[in-house]
Amino acid sequence: MKWLLDFLKGKCLGHPLHPILAHVPMAMWPGALIFDLLSQCQNGDNAMVRLSFYAIIFGLAAALLAAPTGLVDWSGIKREKPAWKIGLYHMSLNLIATLLFAVNLALRWQTFREASKVDRIPLLLSVVGTLILISSAYLGGRMVYEYGISVARMSKKKWRKLAAGGGANLPPE
Amino acid sequence: MLKDALEGKPLRHPIHPMLVHFPIGFLVLSFLLDLVSMAFPEVPNLVRGSFYAMLLGIITALLAAVPGFVDYSDIRRDHPGKTTATRHMTLNLMVVAIYGLNLWIRSSALSHPKISLLPLLLSIIGIGLLSVSGYLGGRLVYDQGIAVGRHKRRTATPQDTLYLSTGYLASGAEISFVPVPDAEQLGNGETLRVEIDKLVMTIARIDNQLYGFQEFCTHRFGPLSEGSFHGFNVQCPWHNSCFDIRTGKVTNGPAKVDLQTFKIEMRDGKVGVLVTKEHDQKT
Repeated sequence: MKWLLDFLKGKCLGHPLHPILAHVPMAMWPGALIFDLLSQCQNGDNAMVRLSFYAIIFGLAAALLAAPTGLVDWSGIKREKPAWKIGLYHMSLNLIATLLFAVNLALRWQTFREASKVDRIPLLLSVVGTLILISSAYLGGRMVYEYGISVARMSKKKWRKLAAGGGANLPPE
Repeated sequence: MLKDALEGKPLRHPIHPMLVHFPIGFLVLSFLLDLVSMAFPEVPNLVRGSFYAMLLGIITALLAAVPGFVDYSDIRRDHPGKTTATRHMTLNLMVVAIYGLNLWIRSSALSHPKISLLPLLLSIIGIGLLSVSGYLGGRLVYDQGIAVGRHKRRTATPQDTLYLSTGYLASGAEISFVPVPDAEQLGNGETLRVEIDKLVMTIARIDNQLYGFQEFCTHRFGPLSEGSFHGFNVQCPWHNSCFDIRTGKVTNGPAKVDLQTFKIEMRDGKVGVLVTKEHDQKT
């Protein structure tokens, strides 16, 4: 069990896994929205509709992989810390965004092979899903850049050595 | 200020790591579509789709490069992360060049059902380099703490460490006075990062007084010379531990151990820091 947790935390990589995987939905779903919008001004070409469909699928696949890694990272934050609550919002928004894009995908399933334009409802779902995703991603970034979640978690020993070499007071090991 | 905006200070979040999701995502998507076109050439528009994804990837990579350069220029010159950042930047420039070539080569064959060998090969190389580069970028944040908590600081951070020496090994004195002429130029809320015979400290001017304290936070050893000041408290940029710079006492966790402080004095019209043998024995 411990090896699985270590793997999900990205210990073997020396880099947390969640922010790596999060790149994919974060690019694919706003990308799907861009392709949806481009499909609106195209004439009779199916390429954008298909591209948007593939982007949503790729994003969903990566989101499902990213979820357990995020959950493990979040479970390592103490409950009384402000980052815990932000993590909770981040997770809830991500779940909503994922559900919206799953529904979005289902709605296109029948038409993406032929259509040259994305319909209004999936387009609307892309807009809403992207907005929710961006808010959520911002919160995820705040956890790192404001509260230092996962920062110096794996490089602690290296920094300790530098601090010791610099004559600093150190915490007990 | 343009530099502050490109560093994402108004957003309280650096811009470069926000934008890099897009080139990474789109270039990987382009590669996957190439692979699908090899396996299922009967599916229409894969090569065309891959081209559009790549085009979007290159455009967003160029957009991400701008705040990336600014972030790079703001890393202290002797920071251990600086070499990683140089590698990250060099690899990214190579990736953009390779994808530019890739895009140009494949632009003439958009209606092919299957991607040709040369552009596919370029994509494989591109994805390989991009993965390494992205990994290094992540290490910059998660190992080196680059840009973490940077937005909390209102003044510029030190661009260099000032290397000084007590020379007291020769004199044998118990206490050495080491002049730090640069400290006189410090404005309020500004800091120097000073290394005196391996002893690393921050010298800060707060309320027109100079204070010296150890550079490394006692929690996970974040750089206090890049910290932010709230009254007489310095806040670590990484995990927000606070210390009273007059006494070194922890005023807010997660740190539990107090900082070492250094006395700043004026002698013969020169500002300097007092270093005792006791300080030095720790090193």
